[in-house]
Amino acid sequence: MSAERWKEDEALLERLRKGTPEGVNELLHLFQGKIFNLAMSILKNESDAEEATQDVFMTVIRKADTFKGNSALYSWMYRICVNTCLMRLRGKRRNETVSIEEFMPVFTDEGMHASPMDDWSKEVERDALNEELGRMIRKFTDQLSEKYKVVFVLSDVEGLSNEETAKILGLTVPAVKSRLHRARLYLREQLSRYLQDGKAG
Amino acid sequence: MLADYFDGSMDPRLREELDSHIAMCEPCMNFSKTYRITCDKTKELRKDIEYQIPQDVRDRLETFVRSAALKYPQMVREYRDQAERERREKLAAFLSAASAGKLSSITVLLVETHCAICPECKEYFDRRIQAGDSGATPGIVESHVTRLMEALPPGEEFFLA
Repeated sequence: MSAERWKEDEALLERLRKGTPEGVNELLHLFQGKIFNLAMSILKNESDAEEATQDVFMTVIRKADTFKGNSALYSWMYRICVNTCLMRLRGKRRNETVSIEEFMPVFTDEGMHASPMDDWSKEVERDALNEELGRMIRKFTDQLSEKYKVVFVLSDVEGLSNEETAKILGLTVPAVKSRLHRARLYLREQLSRYLQDGKAG
Repeated sequence: MLADYFDGSMDPRLREELDSHIAMCEPCMNFSKTYRITCDKTKELRKDIEYQIPQDVRDRLETFVRSAALKYPQMVREYRDQAERERREKLAAFLSAASAGKLSSITVLLVETHCAICPECKEYFDRRIQAGDSGATPGIVESHVTRLMEALPPGEEFFLA
């Protein structure tokens, strides 16, 4: 973590510890969108995500005293958010998720791709498709089980490094890499099917 | 292994071999292109993929967190003041018990052991107990005595009734 970031975090935390309204406003301004997004992608329900976001902010403000500066503030907040959301999911009926295996690449005995492999990368480079593509990526991601989804959202959507994601989730870096890779394979395959269906129809 | 290939952490020699295979193999080439564009598009379309926080949720959250957060430091302050008052009372009781020779034997032992290595406390206790001087207590002695009291096992009284 850079010294500058550490200083900014520390300054914000200090304002929180003193309980100044500016500190609270800044914290909300910086993180409410991110935390809500992460909570939504785990809980997939607006009112649950709203409550979870409230809990996260209250926990952060209450624990501002005990925060040790050995990780960045945002990664600490993400960790609290993931824990809060998983706690809420516990005991609840699990949402229907797809089996990821079905979307992994299949190879023939000769080691060749078993299904035809089209190159649709040129098609999606056209920006006209972007809005729809974004929606589709979100929809497909929503169908992943938490195990893959949380890693995918933190790493690829939020843009954290594998190391940071591993720290937040309490996983090893290889485990993060493997889950991330599988989530990407799944997404690639889903987009493939989606784009081909679009062509056929 | 493919994950290492795509994130660039693969051993360079292996990487070269794979590169040359992919360059000649159309399905692999297509796979690798579409894999990469999937990752690129995810980053690029982040705004569309993320859930936007609705304005009403944002408003409610801000109201709730602000009002709760501003009450909280007040509570902490009160709690700390209370703890500080209790600490002072206990300290005063300890010191007057020391002067009156009413410390329990285990506490006497603790104090003596501590005084053997701490000149400040030794001087203070000597003055207080032998000369009956009840003048101001230096800060360092206060903090040592507080730690001594905290070191006693729970339920152990530090002075005799």
